Amino acid sequence: MQSDVSLGPSRPFAGTLAFLWTEVLVQGNERMAMLTSMVVPGIILVFVLILNPSLFSIALVGAIVFSTFTMGQRVLNEAAYLRIDHKANDMYLAGPMMPEAYFLGMSVGILVIYLTPTIFLGILATFVVPLHLDVGLLLLAVAATVWLFAASTGYVFSTFFRDNRAIWAYSSLFFNVFGVLMPVFYPLGLFPAALRPIALLLPPSAAAALVQAAIGTTTLTSGEVILAVAGLAVETVGVFLFAIYWARRTVREA
Amino acid sequence: MSGEALRSVDLRKIYESRGTAPVEALSGVSMEVRRGERVALLGRNGAGKTTFLKIASTLLRPTSGSVEVFGVDIARSPEKARPYIAVVPQEGKPFFHLSPREQIYTYLRARGFTRETAKARTEDSIERMGLESCADRLSVTLSGGQRQRTMVATVIATEAPLLFLDEPTIGMDPFARREVWASLRSLTQKGSTILLTTHYLDEAEVLSHRLYIVEQGRVLSSGTADDLKRSVGGTLKVQMPEGAAQVDRFRSFGHCVVDGKVLTVILEPDTLGELMDIAVKAQLMATVGPVTLEEAFLRAVGRSIDAE
Repeated sequence: MQSDVSLGPSRPFAGTLAFLWTEVLVQGNERMAMLTSMVVPGIILVFVLILNPSLFSIALVGAIVFSTFTMGQRVLNEAAYLRIDHKANDMYLAGPMMPEAYFLGMSVGILVIYLTPTIFLGILATFVVPLHLDVGLLLLAVAATVWLFAASTGYVFSTFFRDNRAIWAYSSLFFNVFGVLMPVFYPLGLFPAALRPIALLLPPSAAAALVQAAIGTTTLTSGEVILAVAGLAVETVGVFLFAIYWARRTVREA
Repeated sequence: MSGEALRSVDLRKIYESRGTAPVEALSGVSMEVRRGERVALLGRNGAGKTTFLKIASTLLRPTSGSVEVFGVDIARSPEKARPYIAVVPQEGKPFFHLSPREQIYTYLRARGFTRETAKARTEDSIERMGLESCADRLSVTLSGGQRQRTMVATVIATEAPLLFLDEPTIGMDPFARREVWASLRSLTQKGSTILLTTHYLDEAEVLSHRLYIVEQGRVLSSGTADDLKRSVGGTLKVQMPEGAAQVDRFRSFGHCVVDGKVLTVILEPDTLGELMDIAVKAQLMATVGPVTLEEAFLRAVGRSIDAE
């Protein structure tokens, strides 16, 4: 017989704002972490400035894309840490808060806190890169898309681990290979021609290539533009929808 | 209207993983918890208590059988059951970079409470759990007991209709444990139902209306603490620190347990005088006390181990 206790199922995304605020407070109390997020892009920018200042504007665009991409690494680490070490999933998800709210709240909370270094890079870019309104909007759009892709990927990956030690190695490998090795900080033209389609299919390098093309430092054929835009959009929407499905699916262990 | 907050029927759980033999954690557990009850699950490590709690709290899929929470089948509609429940997970920790006050408040907000209600319940819970002195310190700086109190305070503040507490007082000092007991009693008086696991038998006895003893995924016995104690075979226990060697002289009085040199005899009061005469003649020191839940637990689980 159904209960007379007057509680209904929660609405989708119920609890997102509250968990976002939780994550902002948690991350905000770890100020050093915010500074460390600048280390890799900062060092690369200094190297570029010393070795080839003419590439600085490209590297700066790359740093903005990279900084949004590595937020996915923070989502991965945070989601796994909270699930494995704190059992926060058990506490939060065995309740009316929806799983997708947990994922989104955490992701946006991390974005809010770590956006400060990205904004700093963006302000710097207005002085260094010829950022007209259209290019600025393009940079904003691709950075947001890369963030959504990375945060969704990070959350999904986080559910596969049972030990935080394993995560450090894999997450570092994943985010550095796709965020540093690929043509994000350097022009797509310097990347082997045969591998260009791969670079244009991977969200961080596709995003960087589109902005490089918009500021005139890289030439893309119309086919390559379509490949980069479609790849970025389809992959991001696909991974985001999958992350929502996966967040719901993984509340209960098998 | 269902009078049960939770009912499980023939619940089974088999953990399967590649390369290792399947492990049957639950082998047909049936139990019910009535509204407003405090029920404890007792069992050795690995007996299946946490597995049961995880399934009942919608965090683990059962292999077969069913669990209903307030009449909602948790396998079919976990999202409908979740608003009714709140969980203190085993070995859970509060967010290290939140203070207890922030932790409780944000958790309540995440569960959909208004600002005013969340604030009021946060302050109430902090007070009830004696966390006033550390309410604004980051949890990373708190002791293990204070962190555990924060976890319990967070979940208690929800006043959810059904609370699952997996070893809620682990690591707490005796004073803190009593504060938790008082809070849990007060919650059930308000209408909440509590299912908890604990290794503290005194806690299970003073706190629970009923108990289930679980071993190797099966319910061995259940009832009130008094029911379980009666099942031991007597209401008194006589302990003789040097009596083990003379166990045969006492077998006729009741159930005898030998542990090293110590002999414990469980018996009824009417035969106590006779036993004490024999002990005095044999120059054995003896102490008399009431049978505790520990004897009942050891007896029930011991029988099960002997039967293997």
